[in-house]
Amino acid sequence: MSSVQETIFAIISKEAGIDPGKISLDSTLKDLEIQSLEAVQIIFEIEDHYKITLPDRDPNFDTESVRGLVEAVERLLAEQSSGAAAPSPQA
Amino acid sequence: MRRVAITGMGAICALGHDAAATWAAMCAGRSAIGPISNIPTELLNIKVAAEVRGFDPLAHFDSRRLVLLDRVSQFALIAAREAVAQSGLDFGSDMRGERTACIIGTGIGGENSHNEQSSRFYGDKNPRLHPLTIVRVMANAPACHLGMEFGLTGPSFAVVSACASANHAMAQAFEMVRSGKVDFAVTGGTEACITVPTIKAWEAMRVTADDTCRPFCKQRRGMVLGEGAGVFVFEEYEHALARGATILAEFAGAGMSADAGDIVLPSETGAAKALSAALADAGLNKDDVGYINAHGTGTPANDPTESKAIRRVFGAHAGALCVSSTKSMHGHALGAAGAIELVAAIGALRDGIIPPTANFIDVDPECDLDYVPNVAREKPVRAALSNSFAFGGLNAVVAITRAS
Repeated sequence: MSSVQETIFAIISKEAGIDPGKISLDSTLKDLEIQSLEAVQIIFEIEDHYKITLPDRDPNFDTESVRGLVEAVERLLAEQSSGAAAPSPQA
Repeated sequence: MRRVAITGMGAICALGHDAAATWAAMCAGRSAIGPISNIPTELLNIKVAAEVRGFDPLAHFDSRRLVLLDRVSQFALIAAREAVAQSGLDFGSDMRGERTACIIGTGIGGENSHNEQSSRFYGDKNPRLHPLTIVRVMANAPACHLGMEFGLTGPSFAVVSACASANHAMAQAFEMVRSGKVDFAVTGGTEACITVPTIKAWEAMRVTADDTCRPFCKQRRGMVLGEGAGVFVFEEYEHALARGATILAEFAGAGMSADAGDIVLPSETGAAKALSAALADAGLNKDDVGYINAHGTGTPANDPTESKAIRRVFGAHAGALCVSSTKSMHGHALGAAGAIELVAAIGALRDGIIPPTANFIDVDPECDLDYVPNVAREKPVRAALSNSFAFGGLNAVVAITRAS
């Protein structure tokens, strides 16, 4: 498991109050019965942890899997380390 | 039971600085949503809002008065001056002020002052805050300033229920006039919370659109913040008739309910309950109603839920209703929304013109009513409803009828 994946699983588990063992890369937030307000909290915790800004509707957390979330975060982190990312307000 | 007339109307919002300009813009289907110009935008991802533009507070208040007034109170006073002037009532004579309630809704209160002083404290590390911070920030300040300006010494307070604040406030004022507790009320809602931190907080919730507000459309991307105020004069009906006042409409009833479910997700049954209660309170049949000014925020959750609630209550008549969201033009003014939208409902009754839902592209298949896309429509209307459904699941629907 990549460290990003591990961190995201831990955040989802904490924010939604679900057993991390139940989360897989293929599960959607819908499968995990995560409500929209929990989803925005998960996004916030991920953004705050990595100091990144996830785009508003990409990935679409309602229909896409946790894999989409992990990949979006890994992509943003890669962009950030290559210096391509726009400065975020936290920076 | 006593009846309640609306004899004065005032408004200020992105569409105009008075009720007449606001109504004219609504009829023209003109959206006032645009790039944010009153505050710095470099930290914002959402760079659009429906701001009150070209507004010079010093044109309305001298500097010594202004130091007491957050923008939220300035808006309320400007709308109230228009409403009171139109009513022709002098609250200073015949002990009228004593028989007048002043009930003003706001979702947030003095957010601009709160933000300025927080920024001074945390940002500038300046521990000395303005001595009038408390009285500018408090959510009851707009009601207090109206009371002081017009000498209203009856029941006066603020009503806070997020996006339903104005409708809840007007419902309360209506009950007081109807019951005989007072003979007049100055009531409505006001909001001024377009600040950088407030927008950042909305951004974090991921319910605001970055382009514009397209209620009931497949392409909608969320709500757009607005600001402003709407204030009305309510008066016991026979009193208004006896003095020959122009009765803009009859405030016929109100229906309120709480979902007691989710803090953000709206409930079809909760909304339907408030709609049914408003009809019953006003003594209206379903087919009396010709127009509903929808809550219509343009969020994914609100629009289908509200449409289903309307269909649930109105059944076969739902298809004959005109349902439009004027938030597509003046944005979502939160605690002022219901008051600005009552201007639309009154206009529909008086002029027989249904204001459109602007920025309309393709209808969402989940929304199956007549949303009056983009262009106003001529249609005589005898009764209208105006919906407000707040975060927290608090619902308030008001019913007005044409003056008879």
